[in-house]
Amino acid sequence: MSRQSSSVFAPSGFVGRFFVAVERWSSSVAEHAGQLGQLAWNIGVACVRLRVARRDIVRQLNIIGIQSIMIVLIAAALIGVVTSQQGGYQMQSQIPLYVMGSVVVESVVLEMGPVLTAIVIVGRVGARITAELGTMKVSEQVDALVSVGRDPVEVLAAPRVLAMIVSMPLLVAMANLTGITTGMLSAQLTLGLGQETFFYGARLFWHSYDLLYSLMKALVFGAAIPLIAVHMGLRTRGGAEGVGRSTTHAVVFMTLTILVIDAMFPPLFLN
Amino acid sequence: MSVSGNGSGAAIEYRNVFKAFDVPVLSGVTLSVQPGEMFALFGPSGTGKSVLLKTTIALVTPDRGDVTVGGESVYFGGRDALDRIRRMVGFVFQYAALFDSLTVFENVEIGIPEASLNQMRANEVAHRVSESLELVNLDPSQVLRKLPSELSGGMKKRVGIARAIAGRPEILLWDEPTTGLDPVNTAAIERLITQLSDELRVTSLLVTHDIEGGLEMCDRVAMLEGGRLRFCGLPEDFRASKDPVVNAFTDRKAAIAALDTLEIS
Repeated sequence: MSRQSSSVFAPSGFVGRFFVAVERWSSSVAEHAGQLGQLAWNIGVACVRLRVARRDIVRQLNIIGIQSIMIVLIAAALIGVVTSQQGGYQMQSQIPLYVMGSVVVESVVLEMGPVLTAIVIVGRVGARITAELGTMKVSEQVDALVSVGRDPVEVLAAPRVLAMIVSMPLLVAMANLTGITTGMLSAQLTLGLGQETFFYGARLFWHSYDLLYSLMKALVFGAAIPLIAVHMGLRTRGGAEGVGRSTTHAVVFMTLTILVIDAMFPPLFLN
Repeated sequence: MSVSGNGSGAAIEYRNVFKAFDVPVLSGVTLSVQPGEMFALFGPSGTGKSVLLKTTIALVTPDRGDVTVGGESVYFGGRDALDRIRRMVGFVFQYAALFDSLTVFENVEIGIPEASLNQMRANEVAHRVSESLELVNLDPSQVLRKLPSELSGGMKKRVGIARAIAGRPEILLWDEPTTGLDPVNTAAIERLITQLSDELRVTSLLVTHDIEGGLEMCDRVAMLEGGRLRFCGLPEDFRASKDPVVNAFTDRKAAIAALDTLEIS
């Protein structure tokens, strides 16, 4: 009976809870945004004041950039094949086959190359950064750093962000090249589309700006991923569970951010 | 009985420190540690001992109150004062808090303040690191190139201590340095604490659950309970105290009795 009567009054309770949830969500978003802005500012100041050790940047370039090349190239190769196959299936004798060149090149350069590379990097590097810094936080290593007068932003955050900003455009450029190559080979093998025809189609709709657009996306993703990863890592609390929670939240946060930025790019830079 | 550890010319002075994490942890702690003194801080788990220790170098910021180190305010003295204070203080963490990705050499080297490090030649840095390791009874040739994962628990603690003393601090803060060690290693670390305090002539503030060790080593002791200072005085006064909460820490039978009568968990 009591359960029944409580469900009768559920709408007002639900509305109340809804507003409470919205208020909590908004304040959480505002808190994250404020802390991310502060972190970005502090990293900028550390870079301008040349407080970031070259040795740390090189170490992170190796971890973030060089060690990611293989997985990025594999993903890009598969993206090229899938784009080519799917494009071929959809065109089937209705659109001239040379258009395939344009479909593959534009899809890879404008969208698939930067976005899927970013998603791969979120999983491989972003999650690693959050888990690493989160573990350092809960095991008092970050406190230890502060206790010896070192700034975690200069030692931990800035090298990772700088390394990713440098690495990401290079990785995306490699992914674009690989995706186009495998797309072209796939079109040749399955559709019988020759290389010359493929490039004829590609050139028809190509703008040099497309490459700049692709690398601009890479640059923005390259700044967003480590910023979020570092931010989430450094605010980790609790033990192993806290590190797991932070890492999961960071991956969700980074993925959504990439998709939101991706959605904002065409109206801002393509029209 | 006065439980205020207030005093002037103090090496460290906590003034009415308040801190809450969801629930109050420190509720107006006032305490001072004199230069050259070895001071032990006891108390039940979760009563804010480590939090108080961390407020000394702003690893945790109090909600109210202030801390002064060598007469300079940690929270109202500005960034430069805080940097100077951090250079004066070495902090030994409960679980050593060594950097996993760095070798023992790099872990100890990072304890040398950046300003000094920039003025030292490579061989001087190497000498300082080796000297710090020798002071904690570790053989540099055996451990310098090792990673923390290759060390035993006792060795990690020693490397953590070596890092804390590498900058030749005037004050050492010890956060439960013997936690998780066997009795032999506990005795060894306690001997090391006394030896280092004598050899380096530092002021030591020691947070510990090892009551007997703390009472033997230290010039003065204090006890925190429920975020407040319950006792502050000489070790012999602590032993002779009639306070049931203090007794519970020195006498096992009193501790068992206290479980039934007092709200100690």
